[in-house]
Amino acid sequence: MQFQLNFKSGKPVYLQLVDQVKAAAASGAVRPGEPLPSIRPLAEQLRVNRNTVAKAYSELESQHVIETVAGKGSVISAAGSPFKKDVRLKLLTHEIDDAVVQAHHLQIAKDDFLRVAEDRFDAFHHKRTGHP
Amino acid sequence: MSTNVPAIEIDHLVRRYGRTDAVNDLSLRVAAGRCYGFFGRNGAGKTTTIKCLLNLLRPTSGRARVFGLDPARDEVAVKSRVAYVPDNVAFYPWMSVRETLDYFAAFRPRWNDDTERALVDRFRLDVRQKTSHLSKGQRTQLALITAICAETELLVLDEPTSGLDPIVRREFIETVIGAYQEGEAARRTVFVSTHLIAEFEGLIDEFTIIEHGRDVLTLEADVARERYQKVYARFSSELADLDVAGARVLRRGGREIELVVNGNSGEVLDRLKARSPETLTSEALTLEEIFVNALQPGGAAA
Repeated sequence: MQFQLNFKSGKPVYLQLVDQVKAAAASGAVRPGEPLPSIRPLAEQLRVNRNTVAKAYSELESQHVIETVAGKGSVISAAGSPFKKDVRLKLLTHEIDDAVVQAHHLQIAKDDFLRVAEDRFDAFHHKRTGHP
Repeated sequence: MSTNVPAIEIDHLVRRYGRTDAVNDLSLRVAAGRCYGFFGRNGAGKTTTIKCLLNLLRPTSGRARVFGLDPARDEVAVKSRVAYVPDNVAFYPWMSVRETLDYFAAFRPRWNDDTERALVDRFRLDVRQKTSHLSKGQRTQLALITAICAETELLVLDEPTSGLDPIVRREFIETVIGAYQEGEAARRTVFVSTHLIAEFEGLIDEFTIIEHGRDVLTLEADVARERYQKVYARFSSELADLDVAGARVLRRGGREIELVVNGNSGEVLDRLKARSPETLTSEALTLEEIFVNALQPGGAAA
């Protein structure tokens, strides 16, 4: 998978990696069982500290997005989150709060906001299934 | 051995040359396993500090410790655990690359021959060549090989990439990330002094900026990028009474304003939003921009 780091985002570098793996898994760009690059080549390629990559991977592992498989290294976990649904919803609430604040700031009304949300759901669904 | 012993510990270090304080009451601490940036302009006191760590200079007062050891009293113990790439690399000119590598290996309790071969290949060095015939870039590459193959717990790099071309710099940094950190990453500490900050951006966990031998700013890199934000706003009309207290104005003209905020971005953004801007954006400063900002008058504070 393709990683892109942005030091100007103000988001810790390891979290950028975590979020990009999650996004790739959600969109189907990486599928369950597919391996992630191992730490050293990825660190060299992105020119970041190995500790940063290691921290991202251990975070992904603790969130059960990836798992370590003998002989294959880190692979994307089979779908199915271990969190209970209310915990998962709570995790999502923070992200949505940010988007709602941003929408308010950009003067996007609730109807338009919800329409965009629906469009994005469909877009990800299409990417994952490959059907238009 | 306790892992809590810092790799480097500098307490109120002063080093005077005649009447000039090259290092003036500097304190810092580098935990083992970190990659620590030591940023400063030319003449800020970086090399003097490093020389005090390696007993190449004696402190005028204060103290420097490496793995809890005194570099003067325990010189051999310290040097056996440290590899150093100086800013100006010099080798015996009559030796070949091969002879130079063997010479350095002879001093070291450990020497990784596989790493040596891999790096000589990677840098495309001719081992038969005399070191006097190497370019500046090749001499730095050779110094890096001698430093990395010894597999010491601490790697000290003093302005390692200044004067090198972009390709050599890139390979240099990838080698530090790859070959050096490969073994026992938690016990491999990097201390790198540089004013070429952008190229080390991803490598740095934590940094100290020094100026006139004093600590101007010490922070974790992620915290620094979160704290220092550049804010741009454009309004529908000119606002003469806009309150920008707590921010440093980079540019202000007509309907536009550009600010640097330090840890108070939320509060400043709220004040700007209250004036209904047409556009309002904020982005983190890079470490290089934080460095430049910190060395402006009053910059570290705002």
